[in-house]
Amino acid sequence: MAIVTLEKTTARPAPLSETTALGWLRINLFSSVFNTVLTVISLYVVYLTVSSVFTWGYLDATFIADNRRECYKNSLTGACWAGIINWFNNMFYGRYPDAETWGVNSAAVILILWMAPLWMSRVRGKILIAVSVVVFYPFLAGYLFAGGAKSLLMNIMVTGAIVAFALNLLNTLAGLFTDTSIKEALIKVLGQSTAAEGTQRKVLFALLVLCFAVVFTLQSNWLVTEVSWTRWGGLFLTFVISGIAMALSLPLGIVLALGRRSELPAVRVLSTGFIEIFRSVPLITVLFMATTMFPLFMPDGFFLNNLVQVIIAVTLFNACYMAEIVRAGLQAIPKGQFEGAHTIGLGYWGTMGLIIMPQALKHMIPNIVGNLIGLLKDTTLVSIIGLFDVLGMLRSISKDVPWLGLHKEPLVFGGLLFFVICFSMSKYSRHLEFKLSAGSRR
Amino acid sequence: MNTKTNTRQLASSATTEKMIAIEKMNKWYGDFHVLKDIDLTVHRGERFVICGPSGSGKSTLIRCINALEEHQEGDIIVDGIKLGKNLKNIDHIRTEVGMVFQNFNLFPHLTILENLTLGPVWVRKMAKAKAVETAMMYLERVKIPEQAHKYPGQLSGGQQQRVAIARSLSMNPKIMLFDEPTSALDPEMIKEVLDVMVELAETGMTMIVVTHEMGFARTIADEVIFMDAGDIVERNNPEDFFSNPEHERTQQFLNQIL
Repeated sequence: MAIVTLEKTTARPAPLSETTALGWLRINLFSSVFNTVLTVISLYVVYLTVSSVFTWGYLDATFIADNRRECYKNSLTGACWAGIINWFNNMFYGRYPDAETWGVNSAAVILILWMAPLWMSRVRGKILIAVSVVVFYPFLAGYLFAGGAKSLLMNIMVTGAIVAFALNLLNTLAGLFTDTSIKEALIKVLGQSTAAEGTQRKVLFALLVLCFAVVFTLQSNWLVTEVSWTRWGGLFLTFVISGIAMALSLPLGIVLALGRRSELPAVRVLSTGFIEIFRSVPLITVLFMATTMFPLFMPDGFFLNNLVQVIIAVTLFNACYMAEIVRAGLQAIPKGQFEGAHTIGLGYWGTMGLIIMPQALKHMIPNIVGNLIGLLKDTTLVSIIGLFDVLGMLRSISKDVPWLGLHKEPLVFGGLLFFVICFSMSKYSRHLEFKLSAGSRR
Repeated sequence: MNTKTNTRQLASSATTEKMIAIEKMNKWYGDFHVLKDIDLTVHRGERFVICGPSGSGKSTLIRCINALEEHQEGDIIVDGIKLGKNLKNIDHIRTEVGMVFQNFNLFPHLTILENLTLGPVWVRKMAKAKAVETAMMYLERVKIPEQAHKYPGQLSGGQQQRVAIARSLSMNPKIMLFDEPTSALDPEMIKEVLDVMVELAETGMTMIVVTHEMGFARTIADEVIFMDAGDIVERNNPEDFFSNPEHERTQQFLNQIL
């Protein structure tokens, strides 16, 4: 005999423990006498820790003082944040001349303004924006940081950067307010919207050349005071080293990973050897090698400054780790994806660039960001070879006469600073993962 | 499984123009001889169904046709071009030969529409707007235009397989290969995919289908091929193949699946 259910079972609301905070507390923290005791003890321990840190760091702390003695006069048990506050400029810019720090600040602002449109959905031409950042921005920033007389290349690239940056700003405005690209807006303004495509292109190109020429003449008189790289330091130097290393090590890592999986034996052996050798040596060794051994092997007259050597060393070192992360991502892509790509006629680069890499990199976001966070923290090692990055600067506070022996506060502050930066990176990576997983969500 | 819905039979649209010519083709996986002296000619508009037990080499055979697998001996000539080590030839042949897999192999990071336009835009260098237009036409043809902006993961198996067929068609291929297109599907979804394939056959497309859907084979096939252990054991028109199989191995096989 068959069993038939004629009526549908109606849905009931979930138990309270699933939906309310009180229910959750009762189930998870106070379910039995023993659990309640544990909860109370834990809360007490948390209270003790937090309250003593709060008393030391805020209630008893000194924020305004001229030297350590004044801090002690104010309170013997509290933190002496005054030292940190007095050293603020040095922590961010190292020994960069105060009169020139506007160059560093404006480079940072320009970078933010230049990149921000990439996150705005209404702005067009994102690929061009990204390419222009990579091609032109380093030269503009480099010039703002280092200053001095410009070579012809520098003149051209700085002009290019200014033109590209201005166009990018206009393009952003056009996108935000009229929902068009700068190209369409310009054509409309010039009254060329009915002209043939070839004519339009010629007009735009002429306009671009004109802009370039005007900016080129104007900027050739513009000189920034020269600042030697030896005076760079603090968080600024940390960002320069880690920023360049981050930007270069991902593409280099991708190339190495593809090389290691290549079917050409020479490419494969070279990539594998490079990765294994750099990976098996501690970073500090690589840094010492780069600054002390490397110049010995170079021909006479060939000279790279320490900073460049350090950046190259950190980049190559990190690229090897990145390569292994990317390779792991590639291994995770099923063979069917390669076959699917082949059957619609994509060759090696099309398959890799359009189908495989986007998926592999997406899977590897947590690892890639983890690696980048590691890289940021690793750059503090450069303080050992005589570059004063943010950690180097923090440690020199204790050697400054008014603040002699002030060790604890700078390190706590440094820890907080790194935590804020790294935690934001990690949060952003979570957001990115969520956004990019749209395809696999149901 | 026998799909009883497809009882009508299509008229053959075969011509005398050779699309695929396989001569004395042999393939080994290491020491294992997978395909033995295969000879097969497919003319434009002809529709072949290949069946056989697993491990008989039927999938390998059609994968050799668009060079997903390398063969070691003999010739495969597709649309007048000989397959060999020449990568240019291989890339060209792959644009002319569409393939549909058991596991769909859609690109999960792209929307359905992007899956369809990728090939035309990047390989055929078609303008984006034109590619979108043709893609929508093919999506209409497989009856899921409303899913265009979803991701493959949001579709059912049957829908994904229809998208896979549309993706191959959007390259405007001369030959379509199907490698067990319904084997990974729930019974309810098999019919919707087979219907699309029957409609495709009606347009006169040259097709080679590896499948165990015997009702489907009866409807569309000009010829049914039975493979076992790397040999083509029997080939015949579907009528005689099913009612009157000659080789003992074919009889055993048909007894088991019908």
